[in-house]
Amino acid sequence: MSTVRIRAVMHRHWIVLRRAPHRWFEISFWPVMDVLLWGSLGAFVSQETPDSRAATPYLLAGIVLFWTFTQAQFSIALGVNEETWTRNILNVLTTPVSELEYITGIALFGLLKLALCLATLTVSTIVFFSFDLSSIGWSVIPIMVLLVINGWALAMLVVGLVLRFGQSAEILIWGFNYVLMAFSGVFFPAGALPDGLRSVAEVLPMTKTFAALRAVLDGRPLPWSTLAAALVGSILFFAGAIAFATWLLHVFRRRGFVTRYS
Amino acid sequence: MTAGLDVVVARSLTKRFRRQVAVDNLDLVVPAGARIGLLGPNGAGKTTTLLMLLGAITPDAGTIDLVGLRLPRHRSKALGRVGFVAGYLPLPENLKVREALTIFAGLYGLRRPSPIVEAAIEKFAIGHLADQQSRELSSGQRTLVSIVKSTLHEPALLVLDEPTASLDPEVARRVRLALLDIHREWGTTLLVTSHNMREVETLCERVVILTHGRIAADGSPSDVAASFDTDDLEEAFLQVAAEARQAGGAEDHPTVHR
Repeated sequence: MSTVRIRAVMHRHWIVLRRAPHRWFEISFWPVMDVLLWGSLGAFVSQETPDSRAATPYLLAGIVLFWTFTQAQFSIALGVNEETWTRNILNVLTTPVSELEYITGIALFGLLKLALCLATLTVSTIVFFSFDLSSIGWSVIPIMVLLVINGWALAMLVVGLVLRFGQSAEILIWGFNYVLMAFSGVFFPAGALPDGLRSVAEVLPMTKTFAALRAVLDGRPLPWSTLAAALVGSILFFAGAIAFATWLLHVFRRRGFVTRYS
Repeated sequence: MTAGLDVVVARSLTKRFRRQVAVDNLDLVVPAGARIGLLGPNGAGKTTTLLMLLGAITPDAGTIDLVGLRLPRHRSKALGRVGFVAGYLPLPENLKVREALTIFAGLYGLRRPSPIVEAAIEKFAIGHLADQQSRELSSGQRTLVSIVKSTLHEPALLVLDEPTASLDPEVARRVRLALLDIHREWGTTLLVTSHNMREVETLCERVVILTHGRIAADGSPSDVAASFDTDDLEEAFLQVAAEARQAGGAEDHPTVHR
Protein backbone atom coordinates (compact mmCIF):
# COMPACT_ATOMS: atom_id res chain seq x y z
CA MET A 1 0.00 0.00 0.00
CA SER A 2 1.21 3.48 -0.85
CA THR A 3 0.68 6.20 1.76
CA VAL A 4 1.32 8.77 -0.99
CA ARG A 5 -1.66 7.51 -2.97
CA ILE A 6 -3.83 7.26 0.15
CA ARG A 7 -2.98 10.86 1.03
CA ALA A 8 -3.87 11.93 -2.53
CA VAL A 9 -7.32 10.33 -2.12
CA MET A 10 -7.80 12.13 1.20
CA HIS A 11 -6.68 15.40 -0.39
CA ARG A 12 -9.19 14.92 -3.20
CA HIS A 13 -12.07 14.48 -0.78
CA TRP A 14 -10.95 17.34 1.42
CA ILE A 15 -11.24 19.66 -1.59
CA VAL A 16 -14.67 18.22 -2.43
CA LEU A 17 -15.82 18.98 1.11
CA ARG A 18 -14.35 22.48 1.11
CA ARG A 19 -15.87 23.43 -2.21
CA ALA A 20 -19.36 21.97 -1.75
CA PRO A 21 -21.31 23.70 1.04
CA HIS A 22 -24.13 21.17 0.77
CA ARG A 23 -21.76 18.44 1.91
CA TRP A 24 -21.51 20.18 5.27
CA PHE A 25 -25.20 19.50 5.81
CA GLU A 26 -24.37 15.83 6.45
CA ILE A 27 -21.85 16.81 9.11
CA SER A 28 -23.74 19.59 10.85
CA PHE A 29 -27.27 20.51 9.81
CA TRP A 30 -28.95 17.10 9.56
CA PRO A 31 -27.35 15.80 12.77
CA VAL A 32 -28.51 18.89 14.68
CA MET A 33 -32.01 18.48 13.25
CA ASP A 34 -32.03 14.88 14.44
CA VAL A 35 -30.93 15.99 17.92
CA LEU A 36 -33.79 18.49 18.03
CA LEU A 37 -36.32 15.95 16.76
CA TRP A 38 -35.43 13.01 18.95
CA GLY A 39 -34.43 15.07 21.96
CA SER A 40 -37.74 16.95 21.87
CA LEU A 41 -39.62 13.67 21.51
CA GLY A 42 -37.78 12.32 24.52
CA ALA A 43 -38.49 15.46 26.52
CA PHE A 44 -42.19 15.25 25.63
CA VAL A 45 -42.42 11.58 26.64
CA SER A 46 -40.65 12.36 29.93
CA GLN A 47 -43.07 15.20 30.62
CA GLU A 48 -46.12 13.10 29.87
CA THR A 49 -44.96 10.00 31.67
CA PRO A 50 -42.53 10.94 34.42
CA ASP A 51 -41.60 7.28 34.91
CA SER A 52 -40.02 7.35 31.46
CA ARG A 53 -36.99 9.25 32.64
CA ALA A 54 -34.85 7.13 30.34
CA ALA A 55 -36.59 8.46 27.25
CA THR A 56 -34.39 11.49 26.59
CA PRO A 57 -31.05 9.77 27.28
CA TYR A 58 -32.06 6.72 25.22
CA LEU A 59 -33.16 8.84 22.28
CA LEU A 60 -30.28 11.30 22.34
CA ALA A 61 -27.57 8.73 22.93
CA GLY A 62 -29.17 6.58 20.27
CA ILE A 63 -29.20 9.31 17.64
CA VAL A 64 -25.67 10.50 18.40
CA LEU A 65 -24.33 7.00 18.04
CA PHE A 66 -26.49 6.23 15.03
CA TRP A 67 -24.86 9.22 13.36
CA THR A 68 -21.50 7.59 14.16
CA PHE A 69 -22.62 4.62 12.11
CA THR A 70 -24.14 6.87 9.42
CA GLN A 71 -21.04 9.02 8.98
CA ALA A 72 -18.84 5.94 8.68
CA GLN A 73 -21.19 4.61 6.01
CA PHE A 74 -21.56 7.91 4.16
CA SER A 75 -17.82 8.56 4.07
CA ILE A 76 -17.18 5.50 1.91
CA ALA A 77 -20.45 5.24 0.00
CA LEU A 78 -20.69 8.92 -0.91
CA GLY A 79 -16.94 9.10 -1.42
CA VAL A 80 -17.02 6.44 -4.12
CA ASN A 81 -20.16 7.93 -5.63
CA GLU A 82 -18.42 11.29 -5.88
CA GLU A 83 -16.28 9.67 -8.56
CA THR A 84 -19.31 8.33 -10.44
CA TRP A 85 -21.18 11.65 -10.20
CA THR A 86 -18.20 13.60 -11.54
CA ARG A 87 -17.46 10.90 -14.16
CA ASN A 88 -13.99 10.59 -12.66
CA ILE A 89 -14.10 6.86 -12.00
CA LEU A 90 -12.26 5.89 -15.18
CA ASN A 91 -9.61 8.51 -14.43
CA VAL A 92 -9.10 6.86 -11.03
CA LEU A 93 -9.20 3.28 -12.36
CA THR A 94 -6.42 4.07 -14.85
CA THR A 95 -4.04 5.27 -12.15
CA PRO A 96 -1.99 2.95 -9.94
CA VAL A 97 -4.26 3.50 -6.90
CA SER A 98 -5.65 0.16 -5.79
CA GLU A 99 -9.18 -0.37 -4.50
CA LEU A 100 -7.81 -0.96 -0.99
CA GLU A 101 -5.81 2.27 -1.07
CA TYR A 102 -8.80 4.21 -2.34
CA ILE A 103 -11.20 2.85 0.28
CA THR A 104 -8.59 3.38 3.01
CA GLY A 105 -8.17 7.00 1.93
CA ILE A 106 -11.84 7.83 2.02
CA ALA A 107 -12.39 5.86 5.22
CA LEU A 108 -9.59 7.74 6.97
CA PHE A 109 -10.92 11.06 5.70
CA GLY A 110 -14.32 9.92 6.87
CA LEU A 111 -13.01 9.64 10.42
CA LEU A 112 -12.20 13.34 10.25
CA LYS A 113 -15.76 14.09 9.15
CA LEU A 114 -17.01 11.81 11.92
CA ALA A 115 -15.04 13.77 14.50
CA LEU A 116 -16.54 17.03 13.22
CA CYS A 117 -20.02 15.51 13.27
CA LEU A 118 -19.62 14.16 16.81
CA ALA A 119 -18.39 17.54 18.00
CA THR A 120 -21.50 19.16 16.49
CA LEU A 121 -23.77 16.55 18.05
CA THR A 122 -22.14 16.79 21.46
CA VAL A 123 -22.43 20.57 21.56
CA SER A 124 -26.05 20.53 20.40
CA THR A 125 -27.17 17.83 22.88
CA ILE A 126 -25.56 19.78 25.73
CA VAL A 127 -26.91 23.15 24.64
CA PHE A 128 -30.48 22.05 23.88
CA PHE A 129 -31.06 19.21 26.35
CA SER A 130 -28.21 19.35 28.89
CA PHE A 131 -27.26 15.82 27.85
CA ASP A 132 -23.57 14.96 27.60
CA LEU A 133 -22.83 11.53 26.10
CA SER A 134 -19.26 11.62 27.38
CA SER A 135 -20.66 11.43 30.91
CA ILE A 136 -21.04 7.68 30.45
CA GLY A 137 -17.25 7.52 30.22
CA TRP A 138 -14.88 5.38 28.22
CA SER A 139 -17.60 2.74 27.69
CA VAL A 140 -18.74 4.73 24.70
CA ILE A 141 -15.49 4.01 22.84
CA PRO A 142 -15.93 0.28 22.10
CA ILE A 143 -19.55 0.99 21.20
CA MET A 144 -18.44 3.64 18.69
CA VAL A 145 -15.78 1.35 17.24
CA LEU A 146 -18.38 -1.34 16.60
CA LEU A 147 -20.70 1.15 14.92
CA VAL A 148 -17.90 2.41 12.67
CA ILE A 149 -17.15 -1.17 11.61
CA ASN A 150 -20.83 -1.69 10.81
CA GLY A 151 -20.95 1.59 8.91
CA TRP A 152 -17.98 0.62 6.79
CA ALA A 153 -19.48 -2.79 6.17
CA LEU A 154 -22.79 -1.35 5.00
CA ALA A 155 -20.92 1.11 2.79
CA MET A 156 -19.06 -1.71 1.05
CA LEU A 157 -22.36 -3.48 0.46
CA VAL A 158 -23.86 -0.34 -1.06
CA VAL A 159 -20.77 0.47 -3.14
CA GLY A 160 -20.86 -3.03 -4.60
CA LEU A 161 -24.54 -2.67 -5.50
CA VAL A 162 -23.99 0.75 -7.09
CA LEU A 163 -21.09 -0.56 -9.18
CA ARG A 164 -23.26 -3.44 -10.35
CA PHE A 165 -26.61 -1.72 -10.83
CA GLY A 166 -25.58 1.87 -11.45
CA GLN A 167 -27.26 5.06 -10.31
CA SER A 168 -30.58 3.39 -9.61
CA ALA A 169 -28.95 1.71 -6.60
CA GLU A 170 -27.74 4.98 -5.09
CA ILE A 171 -30.94 5.38 -3.08
CA LEU A 172 -29.66 2.51 -0.94
CA ILE A 173 -26.99 4.80 0.50
CA TRP A 174 -29.76 6.44 2.52
CA GLY A 175 -32.41 3.70 2.31
CA PHE A 176 -30.51 1.01 4.20
CA ASN A 177 -29.84 3.46 7.04
CA TYR A 178 -33.53 3.93 7.71
CA VAL A 179 -34.15 0.19 7.64
CA LEU A 180 -31.36 -0.39 10.13
CA MET A 181 -32.58 2.45 12.32
CA ALA A 182 -35.89 0.65 12.69
CA PHE A 183 -34.51 -2.84 13.19
CA SER A 184 -31.31 -2.27 15.16
CA GLY A 185 -32.88 -1.16 18.44
CA VAL A 186 -31.31 2.28 18.16
CA PHE A 187 -33.85 3.85 20.54
CA PHE A 188 -35.58 0.88 22.13
CA PRO A 189 -34.98 -2.77 22.97
CA ALA A 190 -35.65 -5.28 20.18
CA GLY A 191 -38.53 -6.62 22.29
CA ALA A 192 -40.52 -3.48 21.51
CA LEU A 193 -40.72 -4.44 17.84
CA PRO A 194 -43.82 -6.22 16.53
CA ASP A 195 -43.89 -10.00 16.70
CA GLY A 196 -42.17 -11.58 13.76
CA LEU A 197 -39.77 -8.66 13.32
CA ARG A 198 -37.90 -9.20 16.56
CA SER A 199 -36.00 -12.11 15.06
CA VAL A 200 -34.70 -9.77 12.34
CA ALA A 201 -33.41 -7.39 14.98
CA GLU A 202 -31.77 -10.18 16.98
CA VAL A 203 -29.41 -11.17 14.15
CA LEU A 204 -28.14 -7.64 13.53
CA PRO A 205 -24.87 -6.88 15.35
CA MET A 206 -25.92 -3.25 15.87
CA THR A 207 -28.89 -4.39 17.96
CA LYS A 208 -26.54 -5.83 20.57
CA THR A 209 -24.37 -2.73 20.35
CA PHE A 210 -27.25 -0.41 21.17
CA ALA A 211 -28.43 -2.79 23.90
CA ALA A 212 -24.98 -2.42 25.49
CA LEU A 213 -25.35 1.36 25.23
CA ARG A 214 -28.67 1.31 27.08
CA ALA A 215 -27.21 -0.90 29.80
CA VAL A 216 -24.54 1.73 30.45
CA LEU A 217 -27.10 4.55 30.34
CA ASP A 218 -29.07 2.66 32.99
CA GLY A 219 -26.03 2.73 35.25
CA ARG A 220 -25.05 -0.91 34.77
CA PRO A 221 -21.53 -2.06 33.88
CA LEU A 222 -20.61 -2.40 30.22
CA PRO A 223 -21.92 -5.85 29.21
CA TRP A 224 -18.79 -7.35 27.69
CA SER A 225 -20.46 -10.58 26.63
CA THR A 226 -23.04 -8.59 24.66
CA LEU A 227 -20.28 -6.52 23.09
CA ALA A 228 -18.30 -9.63 22.26
CA ALA A 229 -21.29 -11.07 20.42
CA ALA A 230 -21.71 -7.73 18.63
CA LEU A 231 -18.02 -7.76 17.70
CA VAL A 232 -18.24 -11.24 16.19
CA GLY A 233 -21.34 -10.26 14.26
CA SER A 234 -19.74 -7.01 13.07
CA ILE A 235 -16.61 -8.76 11.87
CA LEU A 236 -18.69 -11.34 10.01
CA PHE A 237 -20.80 -8.54 8.49
CA PHE A 238 -17.66 -6.64 7.47
CA ALA A 239 -15.97 -9.70 5.98
CA GLY A 240 -19.13 -10.65 4.12
CA ALA A 241 -19.58 -7.12 2.79
CA ILE A 242 -15.96 -6.99 1.58
CA ALA A 243 -16.37 -10.34 -0.18
CA PHE A 244 -19.65 -9.18 -1.73
CA ALA A 245 -18.18 -5.88 -2.92
CA THR A 246 -15.09 -7.62 -4.30
CA TRP A 247 -17.28 -9.99 -6.29
CA LEU A 248 -19.38 -7.13 -7.66
CA LEU A 249 -16.24 -5.19 -8.57
CA HIS A 250 -15.16 -8.23 -10.52
CA VAL A 251 -18.54 -8.20 -12.27
CA PHE A 252 -18.12 -4.45 -12.87
CA ARG A 253 -14.84 -5.06 -14.67
CA ARG A 254 -15.97 -8.17 -16.51
CA ARG A 255 -19.19 -6.58 -17.81
CA GLY A 256 -17.39 -3.34 -18.77
CA PHE A 257 -19.69 -1.21 -16.61
CA VAL A 258 -17.01 1.46 -16.33
CA THR A 259 -18.23 2.76 -19.68
CA ARG A 260 -21.45 3.90 -17.95
CA TYR A 261 -19.43 6.69 -16.39
CA SER A 262 -17.51 7.94 -19.42
CA MET B 1 12.40 4.49 -20.28
CA THR B 2 11.83 0.96 -21.56
CA ALA B 3 14.33 0.58 -24.38
CA GLY B 4 14.08 -2.88 -25.92
CA LEU B 5 10.95 -3.85 -23.96
CA ASP B 6 7.58 -4.33 -25.59
CA VAL B 7 5.30 -2.05 -23.59
CA VAL B 8 2.20 -3.99 -24.60
CA VAL B 9 2.00 -7.70 -25.33
CA ALA B 10 -1.60 -8.82 -25.72
CA ARG B 11 -2.25 -12.42 -26.80
CA SER B 12 -5.54 -13.98 -27.85
CA LEU B 13 -7.50 -11.12 -26.32
CA THR B 14 -11.22 -11.77 -26.43
CA LYS B 15 -14.19 -9.87 -25.06
CA ARG B 16 -17.90 -10.45 -25.45
CA PHE B 17 -20.73 -8.28 -24.20
CA ARG B 18 -23.79 -10.53 -24.03
CA ARG B 19 -23.84 -12.05 -27.53
CA GLN B 20 -21.77 -9.30 -29.16
CA VAL B 21 -18.11 -10.10 -29.78
CA ALA B 22 -16.28 -6.84 -29.22
CA VAL B 23 -12.71 -8.16 -29.43
CA ASP B 24 -12.00 -11.44 -31.14
CA ASN B 25 -8.79 -13.35 -30.38
CA LEU B 26 -6.63 -10.25 -30.83
CA ASP B 27 -2.85 -10.30 -30.76
CA LEU B 28 -1.20 -6.92 -30.34
CA VAL B 29 2.43 -6.09 -29.61
CA VAL B 30 3.51 -2.49 -29.06
CA PRO B 31 7.29 -2.03 -28.97
CA ALA B 32 8.86 0.57 -26.71
CA GLY B 33 9.17 3.96 -28.33
CA ALA B 34 6.62 3.22 -31.04
CA ARG B 35 3.85 5.53 -32.20
CA ILE B 36 0.89 3.37 -33.10
CA GLY B 37 -2.57 4.28 -34.30
CA LEU B 38 -5.42 1.93 -33.48
CA LEU B 39 -8.09 2.59 -36.08
CA GLY B 40 -11.39 1.17 -37.07
CA PRO B 41 -15.01 2.04 -37.69
CA ASN B 42 -17.42 2.52 -34.80
CA GLY B 43 -18.01 -0.82 -33.12
CA ALA B 44 -14.64 -2.23 -34.17
CA GLY B 45 -13.47 -2.78 -30.58
CA LYS B 46 -10.90 0.00 -30.21
CA THR B 47 -12.07 1.45 -26.91
CA THR B 48 -12.76 -2.01 -25.49
CA THR B 49 -9.22 -3.06 -26.41
CA LEU B 50 -7.72 0.02 -24.77
CA LEU B 51 -9.76 -0.40 -21.60
CA MET B 52 -8.68 -4.04 -21.35
CA LEU B 53 -5.04 -3.02 -21.77
CA LEU B 54 -5.53 -0.56 -18.90
CA GLY B 55 -7.18 -3.13 -16.65
CA ALA B 56 -10.50 -1.30 -16.49
CA ILE B 57 -12.27 -4.14 -18.29
CA THR B 58 -11.43 -7.80 -17.72
CA PRO B 59 -10.98 -9.85 -20.90
CA ASP B 60 -12.90 -13.08 -21.28
CA ALA B 61 -9.77 -14.76 -22.64
CA GLY B 62 -6.18 -13.95 -23.41
CA THR B 63 -3.26 -12.39 -21.57
CA ILE B 64 -1.97 -8.86 -21.25
CA ASP B 65 1.52 -7.84 -20.30
CA LEU B 66 1.67 -4.09 -19.75
CA VAL B 67 5.18 -2.60 -19.51
CA GLY B 68 6.40 -6.13 -18.83
CA LEU B 69 3.93 -6.79 -16.00
CA ARG B 70 1.11 -9.32 -16.20
CA LEU B 71 -2.42 -7.99 -15.67
CA PRO B 72 -4.46 -8.01 -13.53
CA ARG B 73 -2.09 -9.18 -10.81
CA HIS B 74 0.40 -6.35 -11.32
CA ARG B 75 -2.11 -3.77 -12.51
CA SER B 76 -1.20 -1.15 -9.93
CA LYS B 77 2.53 -1.33 -10.61
CA ALA B 78 2.01 -1.35 -14.37
CA LEU B 79 -0.26 1.71 -14.33
CA GLY B 80 2.47 3.61 -12.53
CA ARG B 81 4.20 3.70 -15.92
CA VAL B 82 1.16 4.33 -18.10
CA GLY B 83 -0.90 7.45 -18.77
CA PHE B 84 -4.39 7.60 -20.25
CA VAL B 85 -6.15 10.46 -22.05
CA ALA B 86 -9.59 10.33 -23.62
CA GLY B 87 -11.61 12.98 -25.33
CA TYR B 88 -14.72 11.77 -23.46
CA LEU B 89 -13.08 11.78 -20.04
CA PRO B 90 -13.45 15.02 -18.13
CA LEU B 91 -11.43 16.14 -15.13
CA PRO B 92 -13.49 16.55 -11.95
CA GLU B 93 -15.33 19.83 -12.33
CA ASN B 94 -14.97 20.91 -8.74
CA LEU B 95 -11.17 20.90 -8.81
CA LYS B 96 -8.94 23.70 -9.98
CA VAL B 97 -6.36 22.67 -12.57
CA ARG B 98 -3.45 22.90 -10.16
CA GLU B 99 -5.39 20.91 -7.53
CA ALA B 100 -6.33 18.22 -10.05
CA LEU B 101 -2.74 17.88 -11.23
CA THR B 102 -1.48 17.70 -7.64
CA ILE B 103 -4.00 15.02 -6.74
CA PHE B 104 -3.26 12.93 -9.81
CA ALA B 105 0.47 13.29 -9.19
CA GLY B 106 -0.24 11.76 -5.79
CA LEU B 107 -2.37 9.00 -7.33
CA TYR B 108 0.59 8.20 -9.56
CA GLY B 109 2.65 7.83 -6.40
CA LEU B 110 4.82 10.94 -6.83
CA ARG B 111 6.07 11.83 -3.37
CA ARG B 112 6.62 15.57 -3.86
CA PRO B 113 3.95 16.56 -6.35
CA SER B 114 4.17 20.34 -6.07
CA PRO B 115 7.47 20.94 -7.92
CA ILE B 116 6.52 18.34 -10.53
CA VAL B 117 3.17 19.99 -11.10
CA GLU B 118 4.70 23.47 -11.36
CA ALA B 119 7.30 22.19 -13.83
CA ALA B 120 4.58 20.56 -15.91
CA ILE B 121 2.46 23.72 -15.88
CA GLU B 122 5.44 25.68 -17.15
CA LYS B 123 6.47 23.05 -19.70
CA PHE B 124 3.01 22.94 -21.28
CA ALA B 125 2.44 26.70 -20.88
CA ILE B 126 -0.85 26.33 -19.01
CA GLY B 127 -0.03 28.74 -16.21
CA HIS B 128 -3.00 30.91 -17.16
CA LEU B 129 -5.30 27.92 -16.50
CA ALA B 130 -3.79 26.73 -13.24
CA ASP B 131 -6.23 28.49 -10.92
CA GLN B 132 -9.35 27.89 -12.98
CA GLN B 133 -11.81 25.14 -12.20
CA SER B 134 -12.06 22.38 -14.76
CA ARG B 135 -15.67 23.33 -15.57
CA GLU B 136 -14.45 26.75 -16.76
CA LEU B 137 -12.09 25.32 -19.40
CA SER B 138 -12.80 24.92 -23.09
CA SER B 139 -12.68 21.45 -24.68
CA GLY B 140 -9.20 22.07 -26.02
CA GLN B 141 -7.94 23.32 -22.69
CA ARG B 142 -9.41 20.29 -20.91
CA THR B 143 -7.69 17.95 -23.36
CA LEU B 144 -4.38 19.73 -22.89
CA VAL B 145 -4.72 19.58 -19.10
CA SER B 146 -5.63 15.87 -19.36
CA ILE B 147 -2.44 15.26 -21.31
CA VAL B 148 -0.46 17.12 -18.66
CA LYS B 149 -2.24 15.09 -15.96
CA SER B 150 -1.41 11.82 -17.68
CA THR B 151 2.26 12.64 -18.19
CA LEU B 152 3.23 13.95 -14.75
CA HIS B 153 4.97 10.65 -14.01
CA GLU B 154 6.81 10.53 -17.38
CA PRO B 155 5.03 7.34 -18.45
CA ALA B 156 6.59 4.71 -20.64
CA LEU B 157 3.27 4.38 -22.48
CA LEU B 158 0.65 7.01 -23.19
CA VAL B 159 -2.72 5.67 -24.31
CA LEU B 160 -4.97 8.19 -26.02
CA ASP B 161 -8.56 7.46 -27.02
CA GLU B 162 -9.63 10.03 -29.59
CA PRO B 163 -7.78 12.84 -27.86
CA THR B 164 -8.62 15.52 -30.42
CA ALA B 165 -12.25 14.63 -31.10
CA SER B 166 -14.34 17.82 -30.93
CA LEU B 167 -11.26 20.08 -31.02
CA ASP B 168 -10.83 22.76 -33.68
CA PRO B 169 -7.93 22.20 -36.11
CA GLU B 170 -5.62 24.72 -34.48
CA VAL B 171 -6.03 23.29 -30.99
CA ALA B 172 -5.79 19.75 -32.35
CA ARG B 173 -2.49 20.67 -34.00
CA ARG B 174 -1.15 22.02 -30.70
CA VAL B 175 -2.15 18.80 -28.97
CA ARG B 176 -0.41 16.68 -31.62
CA LEU B 177 2.77 18.76 -31.32
CA ALA B 178 2.67 18.32 -27.54
CA LEU B 179 2.38 14.56 -27.95
CA LEU B 180 5.28 14.44 -30.39
CA ASP B 181 7.35 16.51 -27.95
CA ILE B 182 6.58 14.02 -25.18
CA HIS B 183 7.58 11.15 -27.42
CA ARG B 184 10.80 12.88 -28.46
CA GLU B 185 11.83 14.03 -25.00
CA TRP B 186 10.96 10.97 -22.93
CA GLY B 187 10.76 8.18 -25.49
CA THR B 188 7.16 7.65 -24.43
CA THR B 189 5.33 5.10 -26.55
CA LEU B 190 2.10 6.45 -28.02
CA LEU B 191 -0.97 4.27 -28.62
CA VAL B 192 -3.65 6.45 -30.17
CA THR B 193 -7.13 5.90 -31.50
CA SER B 194 -8.50 8.48 -33.85
CA HIS B 195 -10.91 8.96 -36.71
CA ASN B 196 -8.78 11.73 -38.14
CA MET B 197 -6.52 10.13 -40.74
CA ARG B 198 -4.39 13.23 -41.18
CA GLU B 199 -3.74 13.18 -37.45
CA VAL B 200 -2.86 9.50 -37.61
CA GLU B 201 -0.43 10.07 -40.45
CA THR B 202 1.23 12.87 -38.44
CA LEU B 203 1.40 11.07 -35.13
CA CYS B 204 1.83 7.42 -36.03
CA GLU B 205 4.51 5.38 -37.72
CA ARG B 206 2.34 2.27 -37.67
CA VAL B 207 -1.40 1.76 -37.86
CA VAL B 208 -3.50 -1.19 -36.79
CA ILE B 209 -6.98 -1.28 -38.28
CA LEU B 210 -9.60 -3.22 -36.38
CA THR B 211 -12.89 -4.46 -37.68
CA HIS B 212 -15.30 -6.67 -35.74
CA GLY B 213 -12.70 -7.01 -33.02
CA ARG B 214 -10.02 -8.42 -35.31
CA ILE B 215 -7.01 -6.90 -37.01
CA ALA B 216 -7.77 -6.15 -40.66
CA ALA B 217 -4.48 -4.42 -41.43
CA ASP B 218 -1.23 -3.69 -39.65
CA GLY B 219 1.72 -1.70 -40.94
CA SER B 220 2.96 1.76 -41.77
CA PRO B 221 0.29 4.16 -43.04
CA SER B 222 1.62 3.92 -46.60
CA ASP B 223 1.86 0.12 -46.49
CA VAL B 224 -1.65 -0.24 -45.14
CA ALA B 225 -3.00 2.11 -47.78
CA ALA B 226 -1.15 0.15 -50.49
CA SER B 227 -2.68 -3.09 -49.27
CA PHE B 228 -6.07 -1.60 -50.19
CA ASP B 229 -4.79 -0.50 -53.60
CA THR B 230 -4.72 3.17 -52.68
CA ASP B 231 -2.15 5.70 -51.52
CA ASP B 232 -4.61 7.38 -49.18
CA LEU B 233 -5.04 6.00 -45.66
CA GLU B 234 -8.50 7.50 -45.41
CA GLU B 235 -9.57 5.65 -48.55
CA ALA B 236 -8.25 2.42 -47.03
CA PHE B 237 -10.22 3.15 -43.86
CA LEU B 238 -13.39 3.80 -45.86
CA GLN B 239 -13.01 0.44 -47.59
CA VAL B 240 -12.67 -1.29 -44.23
CA ALA B 241 -15.69 0.61 -42.89
CA ALA B 242 -17.76 -0.33 -45.94
CA GLU B 243 -16.92 -4.00 -45.50
CA ALA B 244 -17.75 -3.77 -41.82
CA ARG B 245 -21.13 -2.17 -42.60
CA GLN B 246 -21.98 -4.91 -45.03
CA ALA B 247 -21.12 -7.52 -42.46
CA GLY B 248 -23.11 -5.61 -39.75
CA GLY B 249 -21.78 -4.25 -36.39
CA ALA B 250 -22.72 -2.29 -33.23
CA GLU B 251 -21.64 1.21 -32.38
CA ASP B 252 -18.39 1.29 -30.43
CA HIS B 253 -19.60 4.11 -28.27
CA PRO B 254 -18.57 3.74 -24.65
CA THR B 255 -22.18 3.60 -23.47
CA VAL B 256 -23.05 0.56 -25.49
CA HIS B 257 -21.60 -1.85 -22.99
CA ARG B 258 -24.11 -2.27 -20.18
